[in-house]
Parts: sequence; structure tokens; C-alpha cells
Amino acid sequence: MLELQGLDKSFGAVHVTRNVSMKLERGERRVILGPNGAGKTTLFNQIVGELTPDKGTIHLAGQDVTGLSVAGRARQGLSRSYQKNTLFDGLTVEENLGLAAAVHTGHATRLWSDSLAKPEVREIVAEVANQVNLMPYLHAKVSEVSYGVRRQLEVGVALATRPMVLLMDEPTSGVGPEMSKGFHDLLNNLPRDLTILIIEHDMDLAFDVADTITVLNYGEVVFDGLPEAARGSKLLKEIYLGSWEDA
Amino acid sequence: MFRHNTLRYGALVLLAAGAVAHAVTAGYFGLEILTEILILAILVLALDIVAGFGGMVSLCHGALMGVGAYAFALLSTKAGISVPLSMVAAVAITGAGAWVVGAVCARSHGIYFIMATLAFGQMAYSYVFEAPVFGGDDGLGGISRPDLSLVGIDLDDSRSFALFCLAALTLVYGAAVITLRSGLGRSLSGVMHNAQRMRALGLTVWRVKADIFGVSGMIAGLAGVLAAQHSMYISPGLLNWTVSGEALVVVILGGLGTLVGPLVGAAAFVVLKHEVSALTSYWHLVVGSILIAVVLSRANGIFGWVEARWGAKLDRRLADSTRGTEAQEVTGDA
Repeated sequence: MLELQGLDKSFGAVHVTRNVSMKLERGERRVILGPNGAGKTTLFNQIVGELTPDKGTIHLAGQDVTGLSVAGRARQGLSRSYQKNTLFDGLTVEENLGLAAAVHTGHATRLWSDSLAKPEVREIVAEVANQVNLMPYLHAKVSEVSYGVRRQLEVGVALATRPMVLLMDEPTSGVGPEMSKGFHDLLNNLPRDLTILIIEHDMDLAFDVADTITVLNYGEVVFDGLPEAARGSKLLKEIYLGSWEDA
Repeated sequence: MFRHNTLRYGALVLLAAGAVAHAVTAGYFGLEILTEILILAILVLALDIVAGFGGMVSLCHGALMGVGAYAFALLSTKAGISVPLSMVAAVAITGAGAWVVGAVCARSHGIYFIMATLAFGQMAYSYVFEAPVFGGDDGLGGISRPDLSLVGIDLDDSRSFALFCLAALTLVYGAAVITLRSGLGRSLSGVMHNAQRMRALGLTVWRVKADIFGVSGMIAGLAGVLAAQHSMYISPGLLNWTVSGEALVVVILGGLGTLVGPLVGAAAFVVLKHEVSALTSYWHLVVGSILIAVVLSRANGIFGWVEARWGAKLDRRLADSTRGTEAQEVTGDA
């Protein structure tokens, strides 16, 4: 479904990703682990098109999307949520989801009809609101809801484009343990055919949802395999998991 | 995102009633002022769509109005095309020109967007000023108004023409509401709040901005057509950046991003200009001082201030009374 081949990115003398390759099958949930500065978010930004790789290619459902813009890749079925909330703060939760659904359904650029009133848009809004537990907040403005609800909406907006591949950059960033547990359920309840790539620091969540785990260190893939193998990897303990197991 | 509340509906009804009453009762001078207000209101509506709902502060809307006026004048007086067809063509030409300006400027933001639109506006002004076909500094005269004698209306009469402009403003307001409530208008709101996210959702942001700029340009073009018909003469001054600056002042004075506010701003600005200029030639100082006071009050213009004070209260009171009526009906049914 998503295939990265030899992605290289440097900022001046700093080599941020080095020859990163991975292949995600349809419905696979892969978690990317790595210490701060490992190049995880830079990798995400290359996948969605916010950064252009110096070398390498990105294929989505067999099609080379390396040359496509951010919007072009999104239209091909690639969607992302951000580590820092990137929402439409002055609008309601429903309008946030509606804007995304309108883009997906092609109503976002029509001049003669209200995109948010379209049945297919409303259907997606209701479905996604249910998936990410936002039904009680639909009519509240984003600026009026709690941080945790905004994190759910962050994922909801990405889901409302009905993507083939969803990239989630630290979905539980900044939320408390209770809310984090809610995210376990949320992620496990997402459609099984949705391919998900997640950057996550919450180890419990990572091992709970991951089918496969990729570990980046200094921009390189140092581990790629099953969660069980990741738990037993000596290399991982040295560079990352030691602190988790000790804790 | 565009919403109408009770206060906005109320203000619209009051403004329309006031305009009709004035059009029916006023003398020649009063009708001229009313027509000036109505044409300015159309221009500032066009500007509010892009600046208030899209964050695109334009300093070329005066020039777009001028393009509409000159296109209409040239087509109807030099090319021999009928007045109604020239009106439609002038509006379409301005819309197309505005789309190009929007498409080019859409990739810039903030001060750079303002400067880019200013450059386009001044280029148009200089071209019209220099090119002989536009009559240079002398401008163009002999411009006609539509002939509605078939339906018994003489638009050469000031009262009829004022009502004609009021009808045009009503249509434009309706078109603005439809645009802002459309998929394109909703997307524009999304772009203003967070262009990066809209792009990440798959929206071609520059295209949305260009399309809205085109719609806004058509409205500005109509204002230009009516301005040309009103004075029956046009000069390059219509395209100067000061006209765009004045339109921006009116939008801010009335209430940016409210659609109703700019109408209030247009009426306040023209009345102030005429009343104060009768007392002193330094009327700009008075209008400037009022604008500074409005901006410093952080109330989003005259209408924004009214809305902040009474809008929410009015909606709450109406909601309470509706709930009360429903409760009574339930009790009565029981």
C-alpha cells in the first residue's frame, strides 16, 4: 500500500534521514520508534510531501507519488494528523470534520451548494465523530473543548478524508494516562483495512496497536520487525528501549 | 465561517427599509448621496468577501472597479454593443482579470499579498492613464444607463436609478451569501483559519483563493459599471490605489467579515464625508480620527461593536422565548 525506497534528506551538513526504506501492506499498522532527533517527523514530512527527499521514491498503492504536491498526495489517499494540533480553531468540531469530508467528496470547490449540508458529507462527519468519540462535542467550537478532545479531532479530521493510508504523528502527545488509554481503544476500533503509520513515544500504546515496528536512529532504520522481536532486541534496548524497560 | 444571526437579519431589514424610504422621499441631492452609498456598498461587499472571509487584504479593488467601468464604457460607447450586454461583458471581463490577479497573488501572504495587489492595481491605473484608447487624463464620457422604458422605468431619473442600484445591491448581497455558504466559501473559511491543513486534506488552496477573487472581482466590476452609469463619465482616478484604500477603510469602519458591517460602513462613510466636508475641508482628519478610535476599540467596526454588545443577548433572549413557547405547548398538550 505504501512503499518507501531509499529516502535521503539532509539539511546542510545534517543528514536527517539516510536511505530509509519500508513497505506497508494494506491494513498494516506500523509504529515508528526512535529517540528525539531520530528523523521520524522529517520522514513523515517527506511521505506527505511537505519536504522533498534528496533521494528516493514514495509509492502509494503502486503509484509513484514522489513528485506530487501535499494536496495531490492527499487526494491519492494519504492523510496525516499532526503532533501539534493543526485545526480550524474558530470553527465547530462538526465544521472541522465537514471541511475535510467536503474535500474528499468533491464538494469543497462548488459554488452553488453548501458542502456541509450535503448528505454524503454529513454521513462521513457522523461516522468519523462516532469513530473518534466526538458526538457530544459536534456543535462546540474547537477553542472551547479540552486538549484531549482536540487530539481526538486531530485524528478525526485526518480520517474524514477517508484515506487509504493514515499517518499519525504522536497522537497521544500531551494527553494524560486516562486519555491515552482512550486512544488505545480508538486506534483499535479503526477499520481494519486502513493502513496506519504511527510515530509514538507511548510504549504501551505502540506495542498494543503495532503489527510491525520500525526503529529509526540518527535517520537510519536500525530495526524492522514484529513487536515481539522488538522487545527482545539487544540493539533496541541500547538505543531506546532500555529506559522503557527500566521504567 | 459565514453565519447570519438575528441581529444581522434585523440590521439588513432596517438598512433596506431606510434605503427604500430615502429613495422614495429624498430630493435630488439626497438621491445622489444614496446612489453613492449603494455603489460603494457593492464595492466594499466585494472586498469583505476576500478580506473578511479569506484574509486576502486587497489594495486593487478600486482598480477592479475601474476595469469594470472602463470595459463597460468602451463596449457600450466605442464598440457599439448594447448596454445590457456591455454590462454583462464588463462584469465577466473584470471577473476574469480578478481571477488572474488572485491566482498570481494567492501564493503570497500578509503584507506581500497586499503589495502584490497594490502593484497590479497601480499597473492597471498607469496603463489606463497612458493608453489613448481610454481617453487618458480626460477620461471617457457619453456613457448611457440601461433603457428600461419598455417596463415604464426611466433610469435617467435619479430616483429610479437609486432604486436600480438598490436592487443591484440586494442581488449582490444574495450572491455573496450564496458564495460564502457554498462549498467554495466554506473552503475559503478553512483556508483563512489554517491553509496548511486544508492543503494536507487535499485542497488546491491557490485555486480556491483565485476563484473567490474572481467572484469578488465580478462584484467590484458591477460596482464600476454602476459608477460609470451614475456619473456618465469616468476618469483614471477611479483605478487609483486611494479608491482601494478608501474601500478598505469603509470595510474596517463597518465591520470586517460580517457582510452587514460594510453596508453600515458605506452609509456612515459617505454621510460623514458629506456632512463634515460641508463644515470643513479637513474632513479626512475627522474620518481618520473615527477610524483610529474604531480600530483601537478592538470592536471590529461599528457593526462589530453593536454585535458584541447586543447580538449574543438577542439570540439568547429569542432562544429562551422559543423554549418557553415550546414548554407551554407541551404543558397545554398534556
